[in-house]
Amino acid sequence: MLIVDNHSMAKPNDLVQGTLDLLILKTISLEPKHGWAIAKRIQQISGEVLQVQQGSLYPALHRLEQRAWIKAKWKETETGRQAKFYSLTAAGRAQLEKEAAHWSRLSEAIDLVVQTT
Amino acid sequence: MVWARRFWLRLQSLFRRNRNERQLHDEIQFHLEQQIAENIAAGMNPQEAGYAAMRTFGNPTITKEQARDTWGWLWLEQIACDLRYAARTLRKSPGFASTAFLTLALGIGASTAVFTVVDSVLLKPLAFHESGRLVACWERVRFLGDDATGPNPRHADVWRQRATAFSGLTYSQYAAMGLTLGAEHPRLTSAVVTIPNLFDILEVHAYLGRTFVPEDGVPGHDNVAVLTYPLWQDLFHGDPSAVGATIRVGDVSRQVVGVLPANFHFPSASVLRSFRRADQSVSVAPDPAIFIPAALDIAKFPWNGNYGNWITLGRLNPGVTLAQASAQLNTIQAQILSDPAWPADRRPGALGAWVQPMQEAVVGDSRTALWLLMASVLGLMLIACLNLANAQLGRAMTRSRESAVRTALGAAKWRLIWSVLAENLLLAALGGAAGILLANAALNLFMRDTPVGLPRLSEIHLNLNELLFSILLTFGASLLSAFLPALRLLATDPQASLQQSSSRSFGSRHGNRLRRWLIGMQVAGCTALLLVTGLFSKSLLHLLGEERGFDTGQVAVAEVRLTPQSYGTDQNRVNFDDAVLSNLRAIPGVEAAAMVSAMPLGGESWIESVQRLDKPDLESPLINFRWVSPGYFETTRQRLVAGRFFEERDRNLSNVVLSEGEAKALWGNEDPIGGQVKIEGRIFTVIGVVADSRNTSLKTPPARMAYVHYKDRPPFPTYFVVRAPNVGGLVSAMRQAIWKYDPEVTIARVKTLGAQLTDSLATERFETLVLLSFGAAALLLAMLGIYGVLSYSVVTRKQEIGVRMALGATRAKVYALTFAEAGVPVFAGVIAGLAGSVLAGRAVRTMLYGTQAVDPPVILMVTGLFLLSAMAAAFLPARRAASVQPMEALRSE
Repeated sequence: MLIVDNHSMAKPNDLVQGTLDLLILKTISLEPKHGWAIAKRIQQISGEVLQVQQGSLYPALHRLEQRAWIKAKWKETETGRQAKFYSLTAAGRAQLEKEAAHWSRLSEAIDLVVQTT
Repeated sequence: MVWARRFWLRLQSLFRRNRNERQLHDEIQFHLEQQIAENIAAGMNPQEAGYAAMRTFGNPTITKEQARDTWGWLWLEQIACDLRYAARTLRKSPGFASTAFLTLALGIGASTAVFTVVDSVLLKPLAFHESGRLVACWERVRFLGDDATGPNPRHADVWRQRATAFSGLTYSQYAAMGLTLGAEHPRLTSAVVTIPNLFDILEVHAYLGRTFVPEDGVPGHDNVAVLTYPLWQDLFHGDPSAVGATIRVGDVSRQVVGVLPANFHFPSASVLRSFRRADQSVSVAPDPAIFIPAALDIAKFPWNGNYGNWITLGRLNPGVTLAQASAQLNTIQAQILSDPAWPADRRPGALGAWVQPMQEAVVGDSRTALWLLMASVLGLMLIACLNLANAQLGRAMTRSRESAVRTALGAAKWRLIWSVLAENLLLAALGGAAGILLANAALNLFMRDTPVGLPRLSEIHLNLNELLFSILLTFGASLLSAFLPALRLLATDPQASLQQSSSRSFGSRHGNRLRRWLIGMQVAGCTALLLVTGLFSKSLLHLLGEERGFDTGQVAVAEVRLTPQSYGTDQNRVNFDDAVLSNLRAIPGVEAAAMVSAMPLGGESWIESVQRLDKPDLESPLINFRWVSPGYFETTRQRLVAGRFFEERDRNLSNVVLSEGEAKALWGNEDPIGGQVKIEGRIFTVIGVVADSRNTSLKTPPARMAYVHYKDRPPFPTYFVVRAPNVGGLVSAMRQAIWKYDPEVTIARVKTLGAQLTDSLATERFETLVLLSFGAAALLLAMLGIYGVLSYSVVTRKQEIGVRMALGATRAKVYALTFAEAGVPVFAGVIAGLAGSVLAGRAVRTMLYGTQAVDPPVILMVTGLFLLSAMAAAFLPARRAASVQPMEALRSE
């Protein structure tokens, strides 16, 4: 099941942390992105359904970095500002696959339950 | 891989904390700027855009904190924070902080130093390969009183040939010899003369050159020597060409064939004693510096005799127990008894043997003394911790409002406790570090100037064990002293604390009771320690004040070692003695000079049994023999009881002077003068009786003595005694007087009899001195404790006292009130301490002279001293209480 973060003081409609990890990993799987871009991307792709409390992104990013699933690098943006870009490590890619598979199994199961009853 | 990287990241987040912090800030700043820019692009004005960005982002401070939390180490941050807080609090109360620091530094320093000695001497195995298999073998001879004694070398050689329990047995003898390199006067060096297999048994290899080979034991090939590392450094300054060099040892030229490694430590003659009699004082001998092979014709040794001159060391075969080895040696002893060559008592058991671990033989009698010191220093440490706990408890009580406020504001209990602990840890860590430095300094001092007959002194070093011990002790001390204050904190009810006004006593009846308990325990420990100190002091005073029977003032002794090589004939030695005596008498200021064959107060040297010729059944126990020149008794001022002393004109050498005790034992109330005694088959005539004296040792009753004219058997170790008013200033003149006759003779030492007396009690003085300083420290701590509790109590009871005085209590009543508060714990503590000291006294009974384990005068004095000190400590607070102005106290209500 999903991991609940003790520190994020979860409100009911907040993203649960395990899910946030999956979203972050997926979002940066194609190219390195900085924090703001990750937040924007998640909102866009989900059609504004998933509202990420932008601040909560950073503890998640730092945690993933500490677990060596993502790595960070300071680079210039198009506008010439220095920003911290996150990208996947090999271990992160493996983790992404594992969590994605886990998620699809879970959502299929929930679909089944929801549709048959 | 991933683990390694994670670990690396963790480390980075610990050591690059500031950089990470900055970057986190930049990162979030960037995010907000991006959002603001987007908001402005969407048409908001800058201020609105900023607010909107903040709204979508959430609280950046919390975000940062949460992000930091993911880096780990938050706990470390909190600890650091608490430690900083503790440091600030301590700085604010320098009085408490410095007292606590000093207490801990001294306590930990003393404990570490004593533990270092205990560990190095008692606990650490001897520094030889598989030293557990090394043993010392002793002989028990019935006519010598069955004391374990160094074996007759002939018996030891039989053991060596027949015993299978050992992979090797060796026998060795200690000697003090003059050593010369070049043309200087010889210097006295302690040597070990041994059959060549000693180093094979110890499994020691040479650092340079070689150790002994069997050929070194062949007469004519034995002119070799092996040096210890320190002597090599001293003589040759570490020059490797020392191997092959020639030195003169005991008037024999010897070739240096090897140098032993630096970590080689061989016990000294005073440690591994070949002859043991209870309570003998032994001059402290330095560690052996040179090893010489013994080329012995074993057949020249008598079958019965020559006991107590050699020591036997062996290495047990693997798996052989001490009991098996002992049994085997006893079997061989029985074979010796039944051998036709055995000339004496053939009854079974007349000869026995005893095998003892070498470590035990080396550590010997120092065990009890060292454990006593260890127990006292730990007791002192405990008292110090109780004192700290007490002071901390007082502080916790005055700070209970602060902790109540913190609790009310939501501080977790463990954080409060941790803050008390942090303060103690900080103090303990500082005190511990200072203590280790102190211990090291003390040990260096102690080892540089070592009058104490402790075994293995050269092996005493602070090392990892000791560091570990002191770190453990430090933590133990901080936990112990934080425990009670922490408990108080847990029990604090914030509401009750907050409701009390700040100027009133804080419902501290319970807290004060706890502190009084602590005082009681402290008093108990202190009393016990003081009582043991009192016993030792009394014992030492007793030894010093004992009637000696001779005069030590204004007398100096010069010890000269004559060698068989240069002074082989009796006439040579008599010529030497006479010439030196006349030279000594010629020194201006010298009133009298004489010679004797043994160092006064230097223990026993030559013992023999004596029979009355007309009543051969009256055999006295072994008595001490001294060969003396005429004038000896006059020089040392011994009292003539009957007959006469030796005179210059004496020609008859078969005269003997007996001590009063011996004369009484043989003749009772009859007149012994003119009587005849048989000693070693020779007949002597008693010409005089001298008063009993303690000239072998102060610790034993006066020894029975027989004095014989020096020309009868002029001794090799010769002791010249000189009486002069300013004898301390004549030391170099005495040396010159001796060297005037023979510049190559070895002068072992020249010292005053007073110094010899001091040295002969070095161990007792040292023990007493250490105990006295521990006792004084404990007393001071207990006084501080009593003072602290009382003055605190007076402050908190100010109003109450004011009310009492307003209602008519006199100053005397107030004094009594304050004293009574300390009275219960002090008296209870003293009684508990007395009970404890009875047990302690039992344990150290054997180390006391003329003093009972339960000694009423000592108990009386110590209790009196303690009660007076307690009164003194209570006086100031009591006076403060009595000087409370009722009006003022009531107004501040």
